[in-house]
Amino acid sequence: MINKRKNSQYIFLSLTYLIIVIAVLSTFRDLGIHIEEKFHRMNGLYWLNYIAQIFNFEKISLITEIKMKEISDYTLSSVQRYNKYGVIFDVPLALIEIIFNVEKIENVYHIKHFFSFIIFLISSFFFYKILITRFNNFFLCLAGTILFITSPRIFGDSFLYKDVLFLSFFNIALYFLLKLSDNLSLKDIFYFSIFSAIAFNLRIFGVFLPITFFLIIIIKSFSNKNIYYYSKFYSFYLLSLICLIIIFSPYLWSSPLTNFLDIFLSLRKDLIDPNIKILFNNEFINNRNVPETYLLTWIFISTPIITLILFLLGYVFYFKRFIKRFINIEKKQIYMDFWRGRNEQKDFIIFLILTSFYLSLLVFNSPFYNGWRLVYFLNIFIIYFSIYQVNNFIILYKKNNLKKKIILFFITASVVHNIICLVSYHPYQSYYFSEIISDLKKNSFEGDYHGISGKDFFLKLISDNKGKKMSVAIASHTPLHRSLESINFDLRKNFEVVGQEYKNADFIYKNNISEVNSNLNKKYNIPNNFVKIYELDVNGIKIYEIFQKIK
Amino acid sequence: MRIFFYKSILVFVLFILAIHFSFGVIKKQVKNEYINLISKEKVEYIKDKIREELRIGIEKEILINAEDAELLNNYIIKLKTELEKNKNK
Repeated sequence: MINKRKNSQYIFLSLTYLIIVIAVLSTFRDLGIHIEEKFHRMNGLYWLNYIAQIFNFEKISLITEIKMKEISDYTLSSVQRYNKYGVIFDVPLALIEIIFNVEKIENVYHIKHFFSFIIFLISSFFFYKILITRFNNFFLCLAGTILFITSPRIFGDSFLYKDVLFLSFFNIALYFLLKLSDNLSLKDIFYFSIFSAIAFNLRIFGVFLPITFFLIIIIKSFSNKNIYYYSKFYSFYLLSLICLIIIFSPYLWSSPLTNFLDIFLSLRKDLIDPNIKILFNNEFINNRNVPETYLLTWIFISTPIITLILFLLGYVFYFKRFIKRFINIEKKQIYMDFWRGRNEQKDFIIFLILTSFYLSLLVFNSPFYNGWRLVYFLNIFIIYFSIYQVNNFIILYKKNNLKKKIILFFITASVVHNIICLVSYHPYQSYYFSEIISDLKKNSFEGDYHGISGKDFFLKLISDNKGKKMSVAIASHTPLHRSLESINFDLRKNFEVVGQEYKNADFIYKNNISEVNSNLNKKYNIPNNFVKIYELDVNGIKIYEIFQKIK
Repeated sequence: MRIFFYKSILVFVLFILAIHFSFGVIKKQVKNEYINLISKEKVEYIKDKIREELRIGIEKEILINAEDAELLNNYIIKLKTELEKNKNK
């Protein structure tokens, strides 16, 4: 009976995934390319060339060299200079580009978008497994998984193989961490070290995984008094983690220790220009000195309201429980110090990572830009605590059917809301703002920082001015010329991008991305001989505007 | 040992947070004020503002009132006399 129920649940889950894949397959080509895709392509080719040279793959080495020479862009950061970026996605995709001889550049990016989304989708299955082992309620966990996939900003970014790629691997590593907290096994330790190493390769935040594992082992060894047993496993983990970090990062191959230290030392040096300003709540602030409220404000304004309320309730509920457990720690212990069972142990780990990570960001005064995208992996914890709170309500109202149904209605409404948002924001889901924010407020924060509207802009000009050659200027910090690669090669020839040379332009592209305080600096002011002819507005968010020269 | 470990961590975390939310936050605010004050944009803005004010001033029929004009005139004459005196020495 139980097996039959489990099978039907897996069939239902598979059907859900199938629908998502079909929906994505039919729409993912609408997405433009983001401004860093060119760099990532270069990064993949550069390191593939490096690997090919080491292993004497002459043909690959030759092809990568030719391809790298073809990528010319005066605004592109040099890979030799910024050589510490993760290659775990870029290199395999560069190899796919070569093996399948993908010639059209727009197709190279489409393939990357699709693979990036598929990794996110696979990771969502691990999220489902985290939830089902914790809450053991199929409907609730399915709803949690769909909320995880359809969180608008996360879904939009899942194609862009940057921050959500880290989220995906971090999430898989977290699954193995939670599994190990239940039962230590060499197989799971090895899997955990693989995904921790990949997460670390993509973002330095991955370092929280071994630290958390270490803390859990310490707490456990306090009660079991078997330090030798735990240290044996941890040593194995640490050893395999170090080996895998080196294997996954060709940058470390030549000089592992020096280059590893260099990754940490160059953290501040390699960040974006310290003089760059970012628009935050209608003020231009310095990206190295963001207000204490920066991260919380962004999470609050760009997370669906029901999810947010449930998360806050869940987090506060758990925090109270944690304080109670902490106060009640006694010399003689019957239970573990911070949890009473396996489920609570999982809650503790999630709480520990979220809280310690957030506090570290505050204390180290971490630089931010483009909203909270650098820490999108926090969405794992947001959804977890939302589902945790719904589970609390279900337990609380076990005997009250009406209240239970109201709670289930809210979680269903939240899922439906997310799906509606994905449709209405398409393909700009990454710029979602909560409905409780006024349109004026929405536009007082950074908008199209990925520059994905460039594709729409060029296609719009082509459809309005068929066959004409056009000069385009940019009243924004967005390197718009990179978006030309998102349209067909024949169409690209119609455009000449002239930067801020407004006098030479027929049209001006403007979005609200500026690296200078545009209230004081007039470099992005539209000249008087231009008039606005078009504005793309998505649910009150001004994505971009087109200005045309008056003849 | 166990209790000591937990207490040490708690004290350490609270200490770091206390430093951050007192000294750290003030330092950040002062730094922001300083950066804004000396920024190139701000200097350019002030220059533009001076230019604009001068332009507005030129367009006015009377730049300064009679009383101020007399005061300034007397001041310049006095200054000129003293400079001349120093030159002759």
